[in-house]
Amino acid sequence: METLNDAAPKLRLRDVRKEFVLPRTGERTVALEEIGLDVKAGEFLCIVGPSGCGKTTILNMIAGLTAPTGGSLELDGKRIEGPGAERGVVFQDYALFPWKTVRENIEFGPRYRKDSTLTKQQRDERVRHLIDLVALSGAENKYPYELSGGMRQRCAFARALANEPEVLLMDEPFAALDAQTRVILQEELLRIWGETGAEAERRTVVFITHGIDEAVFLADRVVVMASHPGRIREVKAVDLPRPRKPEVRASAAFQELVEHIWQLIRDEAYAATVRA
Amino acid sequence: MTRALNSSFLRAAILPVGLLIIWQLAVTLGSPTPRTPRPTQVVTAAWQLIGNGDIPLALLQSLWRVLAGFAWATGLALVLGALMGTYRSVDRSIDPLVESFRPIAPIALLPLAILWFGTGTPAAAFIVGYAAFFPMIVNTIHGVKSVDPQLIRAARTLGVDRLTILRTVVVPGALPYIFVGSRLALGVAWTSIIAAELAVGAKAGGGATGGIGQMMFVFYAYSVDLNGIIVCMISVGVVALVIDRGLRRLEQWMMPWKR
Repeated sequence: METLNDAAPKLRLRDVRKEFVLPRTGERTVALEEIGLDVKAGEFLCIVGPSGCGKTTILNMIAGLTAPTGGSLELDGKRIEGPGAERGVVFQDYALFPWKTVRENIEFGPRYRKDSTLTKQQRDERVRHLIDLVALSGAENKYPYELSGGMRQRCAFARALANEPEVLLMDEPFAALDAQTRVILQEELLRIWGETGAEAERRTVVFITHGIDEAVFLADRVVVMASHPGRIREVKAVDLPRPRKPEVRASAAFQELVEHIWQLIRDEAYAATVRA
Repeated sequence: MTRALNSSFLRAAILPVGLLIIWQLAVTLGSPTPRTPRPTQVVTAAWQLIGNGDIPLALLQSLWRVLAGFAWATGLALVLGALMGTYRSVDRSIDPLVESFRPIAPIALLPLAILWFGTGTPAAAFIVGYAAFFPMIVNTIHGVKSVDPQLIRAARTLGVDRLTILRTVVVPGALPYIFVGSRLALGVAWTSIIAAELAVGAKAGGGATGGIGQMMFVFYAYSVDLNGIIVCMISVGVVALVIDRGLRRLEQWMMPWKR
């Protein structure tokens, strides 16, 4: 961990502020205020918080899909101005292209991005490798509507990986799945992220979720947010050993962390539920 | 499967066959005048007109005009529609123009078309294209606007530029609506070609080279052949049906992702 701490951050958010103007009334609301956060290279960072705390907005700003109202976001010290292939996004609703098959979806980035240098053969190889990696062999010629929710999620994940992004942004990717599938995909995600391999090989991941146990199971650090306005409540390091086995969920250390985070957001979660 | 197909085909045939029987009965039992068309005579006339090539030639001539008109209208409507669906400012400046022309019936442009292009294919293609343009552009705009914005965001995060997104995301996303537009456009194109050819029939002299509409006009104005007119009407209907079914097939073939 020492080397990670000393290195310059992969992602740096400095006093990031986001305001929205309601089109109907012209009223301004502060969605996020003064977010400061560093994400280390190769780190798995989870952001949890009650509904409406602006966690998806943070992700969209890192993706370059939304501009901040104030402050700055930097990737390797360079200001983020728009979307880029070095930041892959996995969306909550998968956002697969319905008219493309599994392999065509995965191939989309390397095939159509402006600066792609891959030959057709290299592209095919990479796509085949990814299909194996996310266990979609046999389904490569199916259309998204023919897939189960878990398969769609894996396809969306492979599509984001196809560009070999340095940073992987995941917006509640498992929220729409049933509990068993979710647990399996969490373990798969850690495997693909490279939990068993060298730390230097791992991608930087920012993972949004409202599942506290999901966050604790996956993350190196958990950012706990509060809402109205959206802000960081606490950043909690998760010192559970890797690779994480399913049994870790039953450990006292795991339960303690979950309980601690739950206490932090409980009141707000209640308030958000009642308000919604 | 075949049985289901047969039974649905039979069900579709009940009404037309029943109407034919009633028609023939009415003619046989009533007191027909020379101007009463009879099914048996219509069949004879159809046999003749198809056999000597008159009807197929006339239909081909009209179809060619429809395709020519449809082609330019579709090209223009797709480009304009894509721009109007994407950029609100373009939409705002062109929409009033489109909407104020839309209520003007294609056939009302006939005098202009004849004065500009004469009575041949260019005038017909002009009228037909005018008719086809509106359903095409309205559906294209709607189709482009209906593309899931999340898909466009996904493509942007994959590093794809706007022009490529238009080709790989917006066009396929709008395709279902573009197909609806095509079916409507070809329908009105076919309708207006008959009207246009009928109206210029006298001037052009008619015959198979004048298209199916002019052929009808000749049957009406020169030979007063009611059976021939009925044959023309039926063939117009049959061609329209074939076009529509063909487009539906094409649609299924081009969009296999549609259930």
